[in-house]
Amino acid sequence: MDHNPPEKSTSLSRNVNGFAGHEHPPAEEANEASPVPELSLLQVLEDVDGFLETLSKPNDNPPEVPGCVELLLKMVEKKMANYDSNKFGHNPEEDSSFFECLTRISRFTNLFSEFTSNPIIDAPLNRSSTVLHLSVSLLDIEFRTILESCIRNPNQNNSDSRTPKASKQPSFGSHRQDSDRGEPETTQDEDFLAYSQESISNMNKIATAMISLGYERECCMAYNMMRRNAFNNELDKLGFSNTSIEDVQKMNWETLEGEIAAWIDFLRYCYSVLFAGEQKLCNFVFSEYPSVSQRLFSDLALAVTARFLIFAEAVALTKRSAEKLFKFLDMYETLRDVTPPTDNTHSSELKYETCAAKSLLGEAAISIFCDLENSIRKDHGKTPVPSGAVHPLTRYTMNYLKYACEYKNTLEQVFHKHRKTEEGDAGGKPNQSDAEIIEGANEDGTPKTSPFSVQLNRIIDLLDDNLEMKSKLYRDPALRYVFLMNNGRYILQKIKGSTEINDTMGAKWCRKRSTDLRQYHKGYTRETWSRLLQCLNHEGLQVNGKVVKPVLKERFKMFNSMFDEIHKTQSTWVVSDEQLQSELRVSVSAVVIPAYRSFLGRFQQYLSSGRQTEKYIKYQAEDIENLIGELFDGNPNSMRRRR
Amino acid sequence: MPGTEPQPSFLGRISIRRNQVSAMDVNHDPELEELELFQKHVADRFTDLLSPQEEVASTETLLSISWLRKLVDVFLCCEAEFKAVLIMGRDPSQICKPPLDRLIPELLDRAVKALDICNAVSSGIDSVRQYQKFAEIAVSALEQKPMDDGQVKRARKALNSLLTAMKVDDKEKDFKGAERTWSFGRRGNTNPFHKERAARYFRSLSMIIAKNWSASKQIQAMSSNLVPPRGGEPTGLALPVYVMSSVMVFVMWALVAALPCQERSGLATHFPIPRQLTWAHSMIGLQERIGEEWKKKEKKGSVGLLEEMQRMEKLALNLIEFADGFQFPGETEKMEEVAAQVAELAEIFRKMGEGLVPLQAQIREVFHRIVRSRTEVLEVLDHAAKISQPTT
Repeated sequence: MDHNPPEKSTSLSRNVNGFAGHEHPPAEEANEASPVPELSLLQVLEDVDGFLETLSKPNDNPPEVPGCVELLLKMVEKKMANYDSNKFGHNPEEDSSFFECLTRISRFTNLFSEFTSNPIIDAPLNRSSTVLHLSVSLLDIEFRTILESCIRNPNQNNSDSRTPKASKQPSFGSHRQDSDRGEPETTQDEDFLAYSQESISNMNKIATAMISLGYERECCMAYNMMRRNAFNNELDKLGFSNTSIEDVQKMNWETLEGEIAAWIDFLRYCYSVLFAGEQKLCNFVFSEYPSVSQRLFSDLALAVTARFLIFAEAVALTKRSAEKLFKFLDMYETLRDVTPPTDNTHSSELKYETCAAKSLLGEAAISIFCDLENSIRKDHGKTPVPSGAVHPLTRYTMNYLKYACEYKNTLEQVFHKHRKTEEGDAGGKPNQSDAEIIEGANEDGTPKTSPFSVQLNRIIDLLDDNLEMKSKLYRDPALRYVFLMNNGRYILQKIKGSTEINDTMGAKWCRKRSTDLRQYHKGYTRETWSRLLQCLNHEGLQVNGKVVKPVLKERFKMFNSMFDEIHKTQSTWVVSDEQLQSELRVSVSAVVIPAYRSFLGRFQQYLSSGRQTEKYIKYQAEDIENLIGELFDGNPNSMRRRR
Repeated sequence: MPGTEPQPSFLGRISIRRNQVSAMDVNHDPELEELELFQKHVADRFTDLLSPQEEVASTETLLSISWLRKLVDVFLCCEAEFKAVLIMGRDPSQICKPPLDRLIPELLDRAVKALDICNAVSSGIDSVRQYQKFAEIAVSALEQKPMDDGQVKRARKALNSLLTAMKVDDKEKDFKGAERTWSFGRRGNTNPFHKERAARYFRSLSMIIAKNWSASKQIQAMSSNLVPPRGGEPTGLALPVYVMSSVMVFVMWALVAALPCQERSGLATHFPIPRQLTWAHSMIGLQERIGEEWKKKEKKGSVGLLEEMQRMEKLALNLIEFADGFQFPGETEKMEEVAAQVAELAEIFRKMGEGLVPLQAQIREVFHRIVRSRTEVLEVLDHAAKISQPTT
């Protein structure tokens, strides 16, 4: 007995069989069907095919409708009745035979309708169209039922290993680890999205049939609605929920930070795993109609992404504050890096909407970053930092910049793309936004300017000005220089320690900075040690070639007390940078010790040994060296401890 | 001490009982004129919304898509003008002083609520676009000639789905019971897919804001603290803030009433506007007309007052009735009547196709405009705070 489809099978049934092909249950069930109607069905189909051939020839008057047409319609009605008890997909042979019948019915229905209002044709047209519609309605229900099966029976296939861990811990700048983490693996192969292989193949058959029978709209609407629901359910299960902009406004930062971290995970997971599965499903189900598949998938991606974008926009609208910058940039990067699931004409709206959300985040990030200017300007405390140490403002600003520069490329991009909207307020150098985003520096060591580098320079310049102002709070000019050195050094070290800032500021700037620092150093030496060295000046000690002892004694006394005073004061001063500290000590030693040694060598002899020597020569050169080694320790007790 | 601060000259001169436009003749304060002009423009625009000029009146029926587009345009124009009044050429410190120190934060709070409403309404437009697709199926089935049982049934099914989708009422209900009754294998010309189940799908897809979010509550919250500046009290910028807030609340209210939107019970109540203001007359007129429409529809649990949707619903009901009684080949007279209805449905469908996407784009623009203005106002506030800081 021949169970194969007839030779004249249409493309529809070929497709269906071709797809279903190898994986169908054995033919035993088909054998159960009584052979007689099966045989006659073949006969009927052959007759109908013959009739279709006649019908499709150009003809003014319709040919008479043969009995095989009605026979076929009756058979289809019987098949439909059978589906009441036997699910679709239960007997694949039967299903394909059903499709074959429908294809023919559809064909003659269409051909009939070309003979408008011809009484001979009217009745058969009405009859066939009705049967066709009822059949497709049946398919429609089947389609929805299968589509829904995954919603109703959430499958275990969605193992936890594939779901993202929504880390709701606030983490300042922890994004680097985040991006290192591998994408969740897509191990699932064919049994994705909780549909069995059989379900998918059935959906494919039905979708192919519905579209070829002229029910594309119905089919697409059902698919779109059910899959969007399933997708939303999936996101709900993961814990992603909608929020209103107002709610986000009211959230405290800690909570919101957690929400943002979760949002990033969800969005990445959604794009890397869920969309991939969804697209695959869509492509399978609509394998015969790639453009339909593309459109359906794009619609779904847009609808789903819209939910994510609302949150992104809501976050961008929250009150701006410095600590938010990094999370905003994390979100910006996430939106930038999730690749659009499809790149075709249908995805343009998705891209547009994503860009809109990105620009809100970008503008917010710029405004936060630029607000650093204000926090520097506003910092005009009148109390100097004790010991000339690094000012908290310097620390804060530089650490902030260092963090920010970990996002340098993103910030460059953000400034480049979204800066113009800030122009009015920024007031600085407009039209820098035309500059290209570039890396590295010009040959002469000046960095290539970009809107971001301009901003960075402005902030550092402001910081410099502010520190200059703060340095004036110190009465002691030497301490003033130490303060400037400390802070200048801190800034320089931070900049050198970060490739990103270093590149932005450029070698030339760093050289200039080092020169400034040397100037401070010189200034300090001058202020502190020049006066001391006056004591060791040989001039004025000799009158007519003879050393005047009282003057000499006075000089030694002066030197001792001055040095003690300096030591007492300056060992409480702080130079926290070890290198700077040792540089300072070395340079002080280099200035003081040779002078002292030579003074000592030259004039020691004029003091009578014993009591006098002890009284006036309090220190040997080595002692001086040791004491210099105690300077800038920030330790007020060193002198006492030594005693 | 706010009370002792000298008010800028023009502030004292504005009185809320300023329905005598003739008062304008005697003063030439440019800021006052600007304010008057702003109110006059608002009044003109709303008059035009209430009773459009004759040549466009037929196409701009109240609550139709083109009317809504005009409404949104009105909002955008008023907003731009308001911003000019509020920000440009002003001494920023003004907006930190009473009563603006209270009014401006209230305005910004309304703005945030309006943003959520924009999102909800925009999603509502997506729903309408779904209805449009059902209508498209019905139209193309019923345009077939000769009309046969199959096509009529197909159209009926689509129209049924259309009504189901449109009947989704805003309230969340428990559909567990409905789920159980849904069974496989029912077919024929009854709606094959359980109505309530389908309705639930539609609703869940239109929920894009938090679950407990309610459009009507937001509207109420926006208007609860909306009170006109009292006569006698120095009004200054208080008046334009009041005008703009009223425009904003009204426009959001109308959009929520017209388009499918999440949770709208109690929307019929609208906020009071003092009649003596120049623009109040038309806005109140519109409030009353829309409010009446809403009361009529509220009982039926309709998705919105959009004129096209209402007509679509009516046509769908008629056509379903026709389909139920249809017997091939149909009576000629009846067929002609139906053909006219189908043509009307096709026309609505065409209008939706033309108007919905631009309307949605306009609502997005409203969203972005509100965002932008809010940012600008915040910046001015920030700036003003900085100026006033050293003096405190």
